[in-house]
Amino acid sequence: MCMKQIIGEPGIDLSSDSKMDLKLTRNSESFHKPNSSNHNLNSFNQASQYFPNLSPTNFLSRAENLQQNLKTKSTNSFEPNLNSGMATQNPPLDWDPHAMLSNLSFLEQKIHEVQSLVQSIIDQQAEFSSRPSELATRQQLATADLTCIIIQLISTAGSLLPSIKNTLLSNNPALRQLVNPDFNNNLKCEGLIRNFPETARNSEYEDLLRNLDNEADWMKEPNPPPQSDIVDANPIDEHDLKESDDGDAEREHLPPGSYIVLQLEKEEILAPHTHFCVICGKGFKRDANLRMHMRGHGDEYKTPAALAKPSKEPGSDAHPVTRYSCPFVGCKRNKEHKKFQPLKTILCVKNHYKRSHCDKSYTCSRCHAKKFSVIADLKTHEKHCGRDKWQCSCGTTFSRKDKLFGHVALFQGHTPALPMDEVKASGSGQGNDDMTEDLGGYNGNFASEECLTSMDVKGIDESRAYFSPMNFDGFGALDEFGRGGFDLEDNPFAFIPSGFGQRSGDS
Amino acid sequence: MCDITAVLTVDLLAQVLDWLHDSRDLKSCRLVSRAFLQAERMHRRAIRALRLGPLPVLLRRYVGSLQSLDLSSCPSLDDSALSLSIPCPNNLRSVSLSRATGVTWRGLEVLASVCPRIEAIDISHCVGFGDREAAAVAKACWLKELRIDKCLNVTDVGLAKVAVGCSRLEKLGIKWCFEISDIGIDLLVKKCLELRELDISYLKVGNESLRSIASLSKLEDLALVGCEYIDDEGLYFLSNGNCSLQSIDISRCENVTSVGLTTLAEGQQRLRKINAGNCSPVLTSTFVSKLCTLGDTLIILKLDKLQLLASALEIVGKNCRNLLEIGLSKCNGVNDEGISWLVEGCTHLSTIDLTCCLLVTDKSLLSIATCCRGVKCLRLESCVLISEKGLDQIASCCTDLKEIDLTDCNVNDNALKCLSRCSELLVLKVGLCSGVSDIGLSFIGTNCSKLLELDLYRCTAITDDGLAAISNGCKRLKKLNLCYCNQISDTGLAHLQLEELSDLELRGMVRITSSGITAMAMGCRSLTQLDLKRCYSIDDAGMWALAQYTENLRQLTISYCTVTGLGLCHILGSLRCLQDVKMVHLSWVSIEGFELALRASCGKLKKVKLLGKLQDVLSSELLQTLQSRGCRIRWVNKPLVFKG
Repeated sequence: MCMKQIIGEPGIDLSSDSKMDLKLTRNSESFHKPNSSNHNLNSFNQASQYFPNLSPTNFLSRAENLQQNLKTKSTNSFEPNLNSGMATQNPPLDWDPHAMLSNLSFLEQKIHEVQSLVQSIIDQQAEFSSRPSELATRQQLATADLTCIIIQLISTAGSLLPSIKNTLLSNNPALRQLVNPDFNNNLKCEGLIRNFPETARNSEYEDLLRNLDNEADWMKEPNPPPQSDIVDANPIDEHDLKESDDGDAEREHLPPGSYIVLQLEKEEILAPHTHFCVICGKGFKRDANLRMHMRGHGDEYKTPAALAKPSKEPGSDAHPVTRYSCPFVGCKRNKEHKKFQPLKTILCVKNHYKRSHCDKSYTCSRCHAKKFSVIADLKTHEKHCGRDKWQCSCGTTFSRKDKLFGHVALFQGHTPALPMDEVKASGSGQGNDDMTEDLGGYNGNFASEECLTSMDVKGIDESRAYFSPMNFDGFGALDEFGRGGFDLEDNPFAFIPSGFGQRSGDS
Repeated sequence: MCDITAVLTVDLLAQVLDWLHDSRDLKSCRLVSRAFLQAERMHRRAIRALRLGPLPVLLRRYVGSLQSLDLSSCPSLDDSALSLSIPCPNNLRSVSLSRATGVTWRGLEVLASVCPRIEAIDISHCVGFGDREAAAVAKACWLKELRIDKCLNVTDVGLAKVAVGCSRLEKLGIKWCFEISDIGIDLLVKKCLELRELDISYLKVGNESLRSIASLSKLEDLALVGCEYIDDEGLYFLSNGNCSLQSIDISRCENVTSVGLTTLAEGQQRLRKINAGNCSPVLTSTFVSKLCTLGDTLIILKLDKLQLLASALEIVGKNCRNLLEIGLSKCNGVNDEGISWLVEGCTHLSTIDLTCCLLVTDKSLLSIATCCRGVKCLRLESCVLISEKGLDQIASCCTDLKEIDLTDCNVNDNALKCLSRCSELLVLKVGLCSGVSDIGLSFIGTNCSKLLELDLYRCTAITDDGLAAISNGCKRLKKLNLCYCNQISDTGLAHLQLEELSDLELRGMVRITSSGITAMAMGCRSLTQLDLKRCYSIDDAGMWALAQYTENLRQLTISYCTVTGLGLCHILGSLRCLQDVKMVHLSWVSIEGFELALRASCGKLKKVKLLGKLQDVLSSELLQTLQSRGCRIRWVNKPLVFKG
């Protein structure tokens, strides 16, 4: 099984990579057109076409289930281990023997732990016969540790993957940039946790892996076959879902059963759909398609009334109150979060996910500084964004001149900044507030340099944000990232996914 | 030989010098002896530089006492020249850089740093100046007086820089700074609480600005000329504000009606000067009756182009008894009756402007002569009904008359004969009076020796003899207009030996040639402005003479002259003060001629007027160089038309 997983892992990894790449290419189409002659990119694009059919929600909800079971059953001592496992998983862009060595030593240690655990079970077998519940606990502990080892093993093996890819893609620098290690890593972890097998469901897990293998295989083919049957092979268990959500609600001190928590897969969220199934969350571009889809959920959706165009008041009361969870683990909107705050609608999910966990790929055409991931935000900003950025000598910026002048009138010695000053401080003027603080010390240096272009400042801004330690909380592998070789000269900054630096965990 | 300084000590000499205002007198004084020169050096407070060359030496010589420096007529003044010429420890309080288009913000920053005690800066008409220049000026934190009129690129931001940097400002002129808005004015008012004089003429500001301005407690003088967005509401704010205005100019504010003027007169009881000309044309009697409440304080009242009834003038006459100046130009309703009521009350009037008051006859002049014997300035342009009788009365009673404008009044030699009795006359304008001939001018020439300005525009009857009489009699003449007096020839021009003449207009005098110009140039060495347009016979020889003799020539118009490239090149290259040249339709000058001549000007020129067709053929590099040195080129597309 282990071997199989290792073989399967590159497939998973590649697929998640391709998802990532895909999103980037789609978002950055304006400046990065997919090269039709590039075989890899081509296949990625095709992958996107088939993605909705894969219905990741199914994996997801089940995986959530599994993960949660695991968590509740496992002891506390397990969690730090898992975390440390995740921490060491950060794969550097190049194959790093030091990291590899540390991973292996971790594995070694872990194996010793399991060894001693199993040994203890053997030793105390007589005692356990009288207390079967304790035995079960021990067994679960052992299983958890084993799975942890498996994860570590896979990730260690998987860390080889980027270096392989690097050699493959070295001819295409743009593509190389799109191989985003951070996203890789997260997707991989998630995928692994999601697909975490219970001993009882081993066969199912194997099926799943096989599917993923297939997926990885067809992704390499120019014309992959449709994979819709995979989706149907894993029908969702509504009861399970409800149970888990109830548990959720209990933890959050919310009225149990008052609502369902749905968590959509990120691909689903990012898909350009507007109509979503209230039961499984699958999205559709047209309402009619959704109604067709609904027929599969039961006979009550097959009635002429249900198939007819919705009246002014859609029969939402037929369904229980639904709330949504963000698929990003660690996010406050993720149901795993201690202070989970559910999102009200699919639209909220879409906007939240794009704003908090995605690239800000829409750049304001006026100031060329502000970036947005939601196009509506861009439009709102562009309404108010003038070429003139009203800035005070103290560095504070204002959207309106009268606001600036009010400020200047209030504070002794403050004056409006001239355009030259604007250039020098544009870094602080354009970005988030935290970046303004970061750049505070730079303003003085730039004061005398008129010729400094805003582009340069932007570059500094972004790179600072990139290396800012706050983005790697809990990962601890900052040094490796630093060494990871983002040679800033080669890479035009436009290609660094800005979501990278700005993803600060919480929304 | 006795040393005069033993008797006349330096401080006594300084007191004598206090009474000398004319530069020529001062020059002669300097030339007396070294002691006199030293005394003059210590006494001198102000310098107005005409050329850049001797400036550093001059400034070093006068640095101890010099307080005021005027560089407005200095050609090719740029940042480096400015920073080099101003000595570092100095007592300069006032610097004028008006029209110094070659200077940039760097020069101004240097100026602000080397003149720590500078209190007044004038950078008006530097049309390219913007916020950066304003910011540079704002570094002079002791500034009390600032003029940035027509610095077209100054916006609210620049004004805010000034307001924050120079909080002690007392006088500020931001006329024609079109980019400034209410927001900027509001900030200015909040930061500069010492403001006494403010000129926001022609700004696109609205009533909100006046609301802010009204809170300035020290404001005395406010000019709002041509503020089209200001209306009665704004004047209401002013009348209820903290300021106690002494002078207000709301002329050309189209949306101000007499209602606003009435509220203003009610609220601002200390007004001494009101200019309400060219506002809304109808003036109600309520405003005039409110003027009565101002009563004795009012000294200047200008009501140009308003509909005035005789009764209104009667009220003014009865109440505003201390009025010194009244402007009634283009007031249709003004007639003899009104004037007589007015002057009966306002006996102190010294300036009366009746331009285009078509109903005014000799009777008005009679009443003015009887009541206002102290009148100094009479403007009677286009008062076609007046004759020598009225002027005779004026001349006999108002012996103090200094200025009279009779343009287009159709007066004749007799009128001039009467006026020649006013020996104090300084300014005489008889343009378009075809009845004026050599006889009249001979009276003027013999009696009005103090005359400074004479306008003989299109007095076609004048010949060489008349000019000779003027030249012989009025030796102090500074300004002479002989346009289209086409009977005058070189002989007449040769009579012009006026050392102080600075401004001469000879447009359309077809008979004069280069020899006349040469003779004139030899006699009039101080010429700064010369108009030779349509003097078709003037060629290169004239240019050579001008280049040789009139060193101070600053403004020259030679359109339609038969000058060649050589002459043009020579004059543009030699005249060191030349800044403004109009050279349209110089058919004898080749493109290369223009090119060379403009290159020869070495960046002195600030304004050039050229034929539009040249825009494409002149090298772009040259045009760029000119523009970068602060030269504005006006391209005109007028057809070539020869007129007699």
